[in-house]
Parts: sequence; C-alpha cells; structure tokens
Amino acid sequence: MRSIALLAGAALLLVPALKGQDTTQAAPERPFVTGGVYDKPYLTRLLGRTALGGYAEAHARLERADGATEEFGFEAKRWNIFASTQVSDFVRIAAEVEFEDGAEEIKLEFAAIDVSISRQLTLRAGMLLSPLGRFNLAHDSPQNEFTDRPLVSTELLGVALSEPGLGVLGLFPLGATGRITYELYAVNGFDDGLITDSPDGTRIPRGRGNFEDNNNSPAVVGRMAWSPRLGLEFGVSAHHGAYNVFESEGTPVDQKRMLTIWVFDAEVEAAGFRVMGEASTTSIDVPSGLRGIFASGQRGFYLEAVRDFGRGWVRTMPRSFFSAGGRIDVVDFDRDLDGDTIHRYTAGFNFRPTRDTVLKLNYFRGTVRDRFNNPTEEAGFLFSVATYF
Amino acid sequence: MRRFFRRRATAVLGGAAVVLAAACADFTTEAPLEGDVFDGPLPGLTPEELAAFVRGDEDFGRAFSPAEGLGPIFNNVSCASCHSGDGRGRVENALTRFSQAGSLVQHLGGPQLQDKAIPGAEAEVLPAGVDVSVRLPPPVFGVGLIEAISEAAILALADETDADGDGISGRPNWVTPPAFVPAMEPGGGSGPQLGRFSRKAQVSSLLQQTVEAYHQDIGITSDFLPIENQNPLAGSPTDAADRVADPEISQSTVRAVVHYIRTLAPPAPGADTPERMRGRALFVQLNCSGCHVPQLMTGPNPIAALARQPVTLYSDLLLHDMGDDLADNRPDGSANGREWRTAPLWGLRLMRQFLNGDAFLLHDGRARTIEEAILLHGGEAQAARDGFAALGPGERTAVLDFVGSR
Ligand code: HEC
Ligand code: HEC
Repeated sequence: MRSIALLAGAALLLVPALKGQDTTQAAPERPFVTGGVYDKPYLTRLLGRTALGGYAEAHARLERADGATEEFGFEAKRWNIFASTQVSDFVRIAAEVEFEDGAEEIKLEFAAIDVSISRQLTLRAGMLLSPLGRFNLAHDSPQNEFTDRPLVSTELLGVALSEPGLGVLGLFPLGATGRITYELYAVNGFDDGLITDSPDGTRIPRGRGNFEDNNNSPAVVGRMAWSPRLGLEFGVSAHHGAYNVFESEGTPVDQKRMLTIWVFDAEVEAAGFRVMGEASTTSIDVPSGLRGIFASGQRGFYLEAVRDFGRGWVRTMPRSFFSAGGRIDVVDFDRDLDGDTIHRYTAGFNFRPTRDTVLKLNYFRGTVRDRFNNPTEEAGFLFSVATYF
Repeated sequence: MRRFFRRRATAVLGGAAVVLAAACADFTTEAPLEGDVFDGPLPGLTPEELAAFVRGDEDFGRAFSPAEGLGPIFNNVSCASCHSGDGRGRVENALTRFSQAGSLVQHLGGPQLQDKAIPGAEAEVLPAGVDVSVRLPPPVFGVGLIEAISEAAILALADETDADGDGISGRPNWVTPPAFVPAMEPGGGSGPQLGRFSRKAQVSSLLQQTVEAYHQDIGITSDFLPIENQNPLAGSPTDAADRVADPEISQSTVRAVVHYIRTLAPPAPGADTPERMRGRALFVQLNCSGCHVPQLMTGPNPIAALARQPVTLYSDLLLHDMGDDLADNRPDGSANGREWRTAPLWGLRLMRQFLNGDAFLLHDGRARTIEEAILLHGGEAQAARDGFAALGPGERTAVLDFVGSR
C-alpha cells in the first residue's frame, strides 16, 4: 500500500514535466462505461505500458438539523489513485486504492485482470466494482455533479461497492452509434452484517466487505445496458445471493436467506440538460425472530438534472464552464412502515476550470423520518473541490 | 471583476448569489417550540445536569445491533423505538406480560413475552392457559417530577375504603424493589415502597424501570442485571446466540439514561380558551378530577429543577378498579386484575403528532380517541363516565377539548 502511495507521489511530481495527455486527440473509442474503470482522464503514461492517475476530493460542510448544528467543519474526503497496465493486446489490469477521511479507511477499491477474447467477451477476475447501478461503476467525485453521492447509492446499496469476483463482460454494437453492454459476475456477495451489525434495522451497506465468502455460496451480480447513442442509456442491474451462514462444516445451521437487489438506471442528454437517475428495490429474507424490526423490503431513487453554461466566461480560463442543477433523493429503508425514510432536495452550482476539476457549491434541504414517522428537518451547505490528477 | 468575467457572467453569477442568499435566510432549520416536544430538558438545569442529560439522551436513542449485544431474546432495539419521541408508543410496540394465578411462571418464560430473537436464538411464544396483559408504552417525559412528588402527597389522596363515599377508592401499590436498587436511590430500600411507574404502578424506582427495560425489553445486560434473559422453552441454549460478554452496558450508561428521563420536561399545555375553561369546570364537576388530580407538588430534591415544583399531570398515581371491560385479570405486585394506575393526561395535546397521526389510549392502546377512552371507563369511574355520556354534545366537546389540550 505504502509503495503505491510513494509511486503516486512520484507520479504527481512527474505530471507537470510529462504534460499528461488531455483527452483532446482524435475521437477516442467510446469507453465501456463512461467515467468507468478504463475511462479516467489524465491517466498519465508513466513507465511504458503503465498509466497512473487518481482523484482527490475535499469538503467543507455545514449541516443543521431541527435548528441545531450537526456538522460544521472540513473533511479530507478521499484521495484515490489508480493505475492501469495494458499487458498485451488481450490482457490488461487496473487498480484503484482509496484513502478515505484522512486515511481513516484505506481500501483496495478495484484490482482486476481483464482477458479480452473479443469485444463481445472479456473475462474479468479480481476485486471488482459491482455492476449494481450505473453510479457504482462511475462514481469518481470529479464526475459526480454534486458533493454528496446519491443517497440511494450510499445508504441503500453501499456505493462504492466492490468485491472479489469472477465473470464476463462484453459489448454488442447496435447500428452506427448504439450498443448493448453487459457485465455478469459471481461474487462473494453480502454477509449477514446487513442485519447483525446494523442497529437501525436492515442496512445493506453493513453487509459489505465480505472478502472471504462467509457462507461459501457465491452471489450473482450483473448489469445490462442499452444505449442507442452516446448520452442516452438505460440499464438494469441485479444482485441475488444468500447472505447468511446457513451451513457450518456441512451441518445446516439456518435456512438460506436471500438478498435480492434490483437497480434501474437511466441517462438522457437532451436540450442541453443531462438527466440521470437510478431507482432501486431490494428484498431481504429476514430471520423470523427479527421480522417487524428489520426491514424485508427497501427502495429508493435519485433523479438529477444538470445544465452546463458559461463556457469561457472566465477570461483567464478559456476552457472553464459552469453548471447548475438539482437532485432529488428518496430512500425508504422499510417498505412496511410509513417512516424510516429520507427525502432530500439538493441544488448545485459548479465551476469547472477544466473538465477534470470541479468546485461544487450545494445547498440541500430534506426530512429524515424515524420509524414512527417523526420528522427531523435537515439542511446543509456543502462546498467541495474535486479533481483528477 | 470585468477583467476576469464577461458581462453576461457577472449578471448570471450575481443572480445566483441572490438566490443563494435567499436560500441562506431559510437555511437554519427551525427547532420545534420548547413546549411542543416530549424530549426537552426541565427548565433550570445546571450545566452539569444538562451535560448529563445530553449523554443520557444519546443512550436513550441508541439502538443495539445483534453484534452489539441485542437480545438474545428481546422486544425492540432501543428505548426510543418504543417510546416515540419520548412519548407513548403504538400498539405495534406494546409489551405482553403474562403470569398464572399470581405466579410469574418464569419456567414458561414469564412474566414478559419476548417475541423477537437474534439469529440463533428462539423467540418466545405465548404459552397456553396463562393470564395475559398487553401494555402500551406510556410516555417517559415528566417521570422525574412523578418520582419527586412527596409520598405523603400521594398517600393523602388514597381512600381505600371509600370513606368519603364518592365511589372512588384509590389505593397505593406497595411494591418490593429488587435487590439491585440501592437503598439511597429514590424508590429503593428494604421493605415495601410506593409504586409510581408503569400501568399498574408496579415499579417504585426509575433505576429499576431502566435496568429492567434494558434487560427484558432490549436484551441488554448491565452491572445491575448481568445475566441474560432466557427462553426456558427453547430447544437450544438461548444465550449461546449472544456472543457479547456480559454485562453489555456499564452502570454509568444506566445512570445516564435514568438521569435523562428524570430531567425530561413535560410539554406545555395548550392555551386556556373559554371552551376549555368550560371543559375544565365539567371535568371537576363530573369528578374526573377525583382520580385525574390536576396538580401535585414535588418535595425537596437534589436536582433543584425538580424541587418544590407543581406537577400538572392529572393523576393521583393510585390504583383504581376500572371495571370489567378494562380488567386484565392479571395481578401485578399488589395490584389486582381490575386495577390500573390513573393515567396522567399531560401531553395528550401532542399525542397524535408523535404517533403518525394516530391515537392510542388506555393501558393496551385499544381506544383510538379520547372519547372512546372515557366511555370505556367503568368500576370506580362508572359514575364519571355515565355523567360524561349524559352531557349534551356541546358540553362533551368542551370536556374533550379540555382533556385533549393538556
Ligand atoms: C418494547 C418496548 C419498550 C422498550 C424497548 C422500552 N420500554 Fe419503557 N415501557 C414500555 C412499556 C410497555 C411500559 C409500561 C410497562 C407496564 O405497564 O408494565 C414502559 C414503561 C416505562 C416507564 C414508566 C413510565 C411511567 O409513566 O410510568 C419508563 C420510565 C420507561 N418505560 C423507560 C424506558 C427506558 C429508559 C427504556 C430503555 C432502557 C425503555 N423504557 C425501553 C415499553 C418499552
Ligand atoms: C376512578 C378513577 C377515574 C375517574 C373518575 C376517571 N378516570 Fe380517566 N382514567 C383512569 C384510569 C385508571 C385510567 C387508565 C386506564 C387504563 O390504562 O386502561 C384512565 C384513563 C383515562 C384516559 C386515557 C389516558 C391515556 O393516556 O390513555 C382519559 C383520556 C381519561 N381517563 C379521561 C377521563 C375523564 C375525562 C374522566 C371524567 C369523565 C375520567 N377519566 C374519569 C381513572 C379514572
């Protein structure tokens, strides 16, 4: 880990010297996932076939709830570094390491080997980004138009969600500009932490980090996306698998309890607006002794619309532009209750000196409701800077 | 500016700044009014008492996961998950107590049904042939004031033989606190103590109420009750499922929560409109106030905010025979199966606000309106109930308005 950090440091120093390639060359091939693993700008070719890059993100936050200040301070939110190597015409490997909240948490977010048999079929193995919704696959802060990630992604699904796995991905062109992409993996899946480590009722993110499959029963996760043209895409993702330990040394100790997650995502670019959204519904087979307290169904969505404007308004930065937009977040942690929900409305205003760097100013307002449906009014000002490097 | 920004940019950015400023004005989410909540501190607490209040508030709200010690068998995950906003609960959060002819039937899992269990443990199932009593969680605000009311003031209201012939014969529930309640603790000490808390006033001490709530309701062991509750009818050892070492919380956590509920203020009553004044007069005239005593006084108290305060709770904290309809036929302490502690009426004004618009009244939450609750009164309250039923519609409305504004 440390050596990667050192390498990254070295890379940082080299960047100005090497003048990292901006993405302004002849129309590059459309990436598999826009903003995804192999679509990082500023990836600097450092040593022959290896490219290095990363992104960093810092926040200033002022959050209030029911008239009291909940948070007023600064966060060195994340510092991520990625490397990718084209080993041969058919083999490539990419990795991403994340240092979160002042290195309180360091994790290998991605480290996978791709063996490309054809465009339609690539084998991928290693630490994968679960194809569970579009946002999980392309969640880099410099790309996200808002400071905070969508709540359905963080609270319901546990983005950034990566896990060890093995599977296939591929792409089928449709006409001149269209295509269908798929990813399908067997992964360790979630563990029963989504219940046993979760004081507030079922929380799927608490079942993450199942690095050695807890129940020797892999789960399946996949996404299929249809894109008639660039800037228009509809995806369906699903995760299905047992999360609990149901067998111990061959002896059945519980029944198999399944977790199923569906995510529907869409991206539409029209009339100067970029509209993105994701909706998810989950079902969890909760042990009988916990039913009524731990949710067996959850759901949520986000919908955002953003418009760029003011390209070159800042005379000193000819490639700069602004964007403004809004996002709606809704999370329902327990479908059987009126309460246990979050509703949030965010307005955002961004300035990008170049496409790869963004200054974001957000104001949000919302309501968090407890299980009794008692509301807490929330509001916040968030300012953040994020940049690729 | 002009050197950096084009003219259009200045205009748009200026506009954005104005919008932002407007957002700022609305930015400070508002705190609910002090008297409109169930979870505010008593006025006049010292900074130390307030600091302890805040600590206790956190623990009161803290939910336990199975990995943190929840269960093995339990009813809910935190104090706050039953007492909504520190007020009463919903019927879905009600507890079931059971026993058999005065025996707590611990060999059958009595005296409380824990119908939830963590993975690996077996939840309890109600055994056949037992006496059952369903208990709606009562509010927890104002319990420090209830605790601080002098014993003499409560006993002065007792009239076990109905010497005054008004048909009302309130009597105290004398209970023996468990050994873990220290003698210097209010409601503690050897020998019978005056019960004040819970539906049959079967609990004399807030410490006991809290320790047992952790132990019985949440399955959290403490220094006071360090051994997990069992399901004696389970085929597997109940506590093998709970891997957290006992005691799961310390004495200081329990003390913080006790301090918190002790220093919770009751909400303010609504304004006295002319109709409510009329309702109040009828309330006294019908002798509702014979049991729902409008005000009692606290005695001296180490917490200055609790000392010599009027407590406008509308209860005598005594037991009354409430007739067949309300009887649970299950004795509790020295309370028999027809007796209930007079339910305090404070906070009814805000009840629905904390129950998602619903109302749940009486010991088991069966009444869905105040009127229904009154009409279900019987026994010693039969005369008051009949008097209420005989009122004209306008007068009834006045009584309901008054009671519903407390
Ligand atoms: C499972 C739901 C549940 C949980 C969890 C719970 N309570 Fe209660 N509480 C009740 C019920 C029901 C009663 C009435 C019991 C009775 O009448 O027998 C009660 C009574 C009380 C009372 C007496 C109030 C009065 O007016 O007499 C207090 C104080 C109290 N609880 C505090 C707590 C504290 C502190 C916790 C957390 C440690 C807690 N409760 C957790 C359901 C719950
Ligand atoms: C003999 C004593 C007595 C009299 C007289 C009496 N009550 Fe009650 N009241 C009680 C008791 C005891 C309860 C609690 C019963 C239970 O928990 O099931 C209660 C409960 C209530 C409740 C429900 C409170 C709650 O939080 O669930 C209301 C409202 C109420 N009384 C109003 C009245 C009114 C109005 C009158 C006069 C018409 C009246 N009562 C007369 C003893 C009395």
